[in-house]
Amino acid sequence: MTTTSLPPQPKPNLDTEGFWQATKSGQLSICRCQECQLWLQPPLERCRQCGATTRFEAVSGKGSIYSFVVVRHGAVPGYLDTLPYVVAIIELDEQVGLRLPTRLLDVAPETVEIGQRVAVQLVDLPGGEFRVACFRQASD
Amino acid sequence: MSRKPVICGIGRTAFSRNSERTTLAQAAEAARTAITDAGMLATDIDGVACFAMGDSAPGMAVAHAVGIDDLNWNMELFGGGYFATSVVANAGMAVQTGACDAVLVFRSLNGRSGKRYGRADGGGTKNGSAATSRTAMQVGGERQFAAPHGYMTPPQWLALWCRQHQHRYGSSCEDLGQIAITQRQHAENNPHAVQRGHIDMQDYLAGRWINEPFRVFDCALEVDGAVAMIVTTEERARDLKQTPVSVVAHAEYTGHGGLMDQWPDYTTMYSEKAGPLLWQRAGIKPNDVDIACMYDCFTYTVMATMEGFGLCQRGEVGSFFAAGRATYGGEVVVNPHGGLLSEGYIHGLNHTFEAVLQLRNQAEKRQVEGATTALVTAGAGPFGGGMILRAGV
Ligand SMILES: [Zn+2]
Repeated sequence: MTTTSLPPQPKPNLDTEGFWQATKSGQLSICRCQECQLWLQPPLERCRQCGATTRFEAVSGKGSIYSFVVVRHGAVPGYLDTLPYVVAIIELDEQVGLRLPTRLLDVAPETVEIGQRVAVQLVDLPGGEFRVACFRQASD
Repeated sequence: MSRKPVICGIGRTAFSRNSERTTLAQAAEAARTAITDAGMLATDIDGVACFAMGDSAPGMAVAHAVGIDDLNWNMELFGGGYFATSVVANAGMAVQTGACDAVLVFRSLNGRSGKRYGRADGGGTKNGSAATSRTAMQVGGERQFAAPHGYMTPPQWLALWCRQHQHRYGSSCEDLGQIAITQRQHAENNPHAVQRGHIDMQDYLAGRWINEPFRVFDCALEVDGAVAMIVTTEERARDLKQTPVSVVAHAEYTGHGGLMDQWPDYTTMYSEKAGPLLWQRAGIKPNDVDIACMYDCFTYTVMATMEGFGLCQRGEVGSFFAAGRATYGGEVVVNPHGGLLSEGYIHGLNHTFEAVLQLRNQAEKRQVEGATTALVTAGAGPFGGGMILRAGV
C-alpha cells in the first residue's frame, strides 16, 4: 500500500502562487521587494522592511548548504519507500540568510557537508501539477 | 494581602502508550486530583487555561466535567510545547490582576494512540496513517515549501539544527548520548516514567537512526496522559493543604515569526533571549537553581537551551553531563523525572508537575535533597519560555 502514497502537495494562496507558477514554467523565483530590493522567503504581499509591493524575480539557483539531515525514519507520506533521503536548508547566493528547504538529488548521504555548493534542479512532484525546487551538489 | 501567584495543587493520570480513554476523561481525572491535592473544592476554581496543538480537550468542557459551573477567566492557547510554561505564567498573571482567584491549568493528549507529533499525517495506532490513503495531504502556509520534500516533522527539523551545532562546536553524538543516558538513570527511580530500562553508551549508539544525527533515544517518548495544576494567590494558598510553590518569574521569547527555516543561527534557540531576561526578572543566577526541568523534545534541545539559559558553556554540555554535573551530587539536577525522553511527552506540562513535587519534598526515591529553586523551560527553536519556581512563599 505504501507504494501508492503521494507526497504532500503545496496549497498555494495569493501570496505564494507566483513561486509555483515560476517553477512550473521552469524557473526558480523568489519574492522580492520592488523598492528596497529585499528578498523575502516565505513570500509576502508587501515588504516586511518597507511595506512596498513585491513580485517574484528569477534567482540564479545557486547556493550553499546551511545544514542538512539524513532522514532514515519514514514519517511523511510519499517518502516511506525512499529512505534514506537528505533534506537540506540552502542559503541562496542572492542574499545572506535567504534560505530555502529542499531535498538533495542523487546524493550519497556520507558525502554531504555543510557549506557545500549546490545548484537547483526543478522536479515534477508526483501526484499533482506542481514542480518543486530540488538541488544537486555542484562544483561552483 | 498578596496576590502573588503560587501553584497549590497538582494532579496527573497514568502515562501509557494506549490509554483507551478520551482526552476529556483523562483531563478530568488530572484536574480532580489537582483540586483534591490542593484541598479545594471544584467550586473554588473560577478560571481555566490550557494549550493545544493536535489532540486536546476544550478547557470549558474539562471545567464542566469536574463540576466547575462558573468561569470568570478562560484561556485556550493554540500552540505547541513552547506554551508549557506560558500557560502557567499567564494563569499566574490572571490571579495576580484579580481577573479570577484560582485557575485550573491542564494538558491532556493521546499523544501515542491518538495524534502523534512525530508523524506528518498525525497517525497513531488508532487512526491509522495517510500512507494508506489515496489522496495526498495538502500543506499551506510557510510549510508548503518544505513538506513536498518530505520535510515536515519536529524530529527532522531539530536534527537538522543539531547538525549545525556539531559542525560549529564539534559537539558529538556521544554528547547527545550523555543527556539521554543521564535522564534515563533518573527515570529508573520514577515509577510514573514509561521508559525505565537502563541504557549505557553502547545501547545508545546501537539505537536505530531516526533522522541522522538523532537516534531513537534522542527523541521524546510519545505517550497518552494528562497533567493538571491549580494556580492561585499566595493569600488564598495560606490555609490550603500543601506547601505552596511560588511562580517567581517567567520570560518568553519568539523570534523571526517562529519560522524554523529562517531562524538565523541553528546553534542557538529562543533561550538566547529568554534566558538573560529570566535571570534579570527573577533576581537570581543560573547557579542558584537546584533543579532544571529542561524541555527535552529532543536531546539537542537540552543542549542548546542549557547553553542559552547559561547553565553551561557553549559546546560543553556533553562533558558537563559526562562529569556528573547534571545529576545528583552535581551542580544542578536536570530532569530528575527522566523528562519527556523517558517519563513521557505530556507536551512539557509534566516538567512543572515534577518541579512542584520536588519543591514540596515529595519526590520520594528521586528527591533532590534540600531543593528550593527550580528552572522549568518550554519550547525549542525560535520560541519558548523559562520559569523560576521556589518552595514556599
Ligand atoms: Zn522593501
